[in-house]
Amino acid sequence: MFLTRRSLSATLLLVLSVAFAADAPHLSRDQLAKAVRSDSISIPTPGELFTALEKPGKPNWTGQYRGPMSTTYRNRAQIALNLGGLIADGFIAVEAKDSQQVKNIGSDIIKLAKALGVSENLLSRGNSINEFAENDEWDVLQEELEATQNEVKSSMQTHSDQDLVILVSVGGWIRGTQVVSAAIMQNYDERSAKVLRQPALVSFIHSKINDISPGLRAEPLVKDVNEQLVGIEKLVSFPASKAPSVEEVRKVNEAVGKVMEAIQNKTDAR
Amino acid sequence: MRRRLPIFLSILLLAASLSGAETDREVQARKTALDLAGAFTNDGFKMRDGHWCGTIAPHELALIAVNLYAGNQYWFSVGTIEPAKKIAVALYDESGKQVTTENYNAGEKAAVGFSPTNSGQYVVSVDLVEGAASSFCLIYSYK
Repeated sequence: MFLTRRSLSATLLLVLSVAFAADAPHLSRDQLAKAVRSDSISIPTPGELFTALEKPGKPNWTGQYRGPMSTTYRNRAQIALNLGGLIADGFIAVEAKDSQQVKNIGSDIIKLAKALGVSENLLSRGNSINEFAENDEWDVLQEELEATQNEVKSSMQTHSDQDLVILVSVGGWIRGTQVVSAAIMQNYDERSAKVLRQPALVSFIHSKINDISPGLRAEPLVKDVNEQLVGIEKLVSFPASKAPSVEEVRKVNEAVGKVMEAIQNKTDAR
Repeated sequence: MRRRLPIFLSILLLAASLSGAETDREVQARKTALDLAGAFTNDGFKMRDGHWCGTIAPHELALIAVNLYAGNQYWFSVGTIEPAKKIAVALYDESGKQVTTENYNAGEKAAVGFSPTNSGQYVVSVDLVEGAASSFCLIYSYK
């Protein structure tokens, strides 16, 4: 009788567990596919990425600086991509708490934005960046950089340049991923390495580029970046629970480094 | 702190212009969400300069995809306005499974807190529990 009761209890528990599992809230594949995706909320900022990277230990941020870059590009797509990359550089300088570097980058951001004709309110942003940098107000500076990026994007939209908005985000994501993968390679830690897993994000960026006007999409640099994103999406598609190895991180770094090189130095952009 | 105010206000204005023509109701919903998200800044959370506004209706989940990084902590704050009376927020992983979150509910505003161990895409759901169809706005914070 006792055994029977125990069996009954076990069976009941199993039934209840299954019932609970069946009732556990779950979204269908169709619902997941229909979830809204937007540049303003679905693409993380470089600041978010760098915050995650810092968790196991502060990386050598100054070691991730790159040399001065051109601010005289003529091609608008190339300017937009480099603007995104420069804003990511601004976040790096803020993480490094390097006020002079922040001011230098802030100045370059304004120059590139002017080249796109979106600088009406940006001059005051540049002044704010300088002031906050001089006063070591690092948290406020990070907010100011995000606000600057959004102001650039907002201005692009009002100037009917909305196709360029995604390119600013792309430039920021690529430069951010280049820096993070390089920092992980220098001081490998599984927890840090896990931040590189972003297949859905790359897929979304890729789909947004495919939505821009055929003319802009056909430009050599944009075409090149878009084609290389296909390979990068595969490289960042690690299994969810497994951290990428050093070798896998190196492959990501090489791939994004190649795209960044094209963004910065491609000369056949129309 | 005084310097933060202009930045905060400019974020509001820019966000409005970035998302195109937002209705007054969406602006009000965003203000409610910002009030809630502001509370988390006291714990060191940085508010993401971006948001999503939309509409919720009874028996319809509003779903928004976000991409999160392992190691970070997040709070997703949602605000709505009358005639919506009570909302619920939840978070799902990329397989569609609901993840365990910290929850805050206060009628027309609600939030969930989450610390992902895996990076990748997650989906925020907003559910109208009580009241009629209305506008809502989602903002998130991280540290």
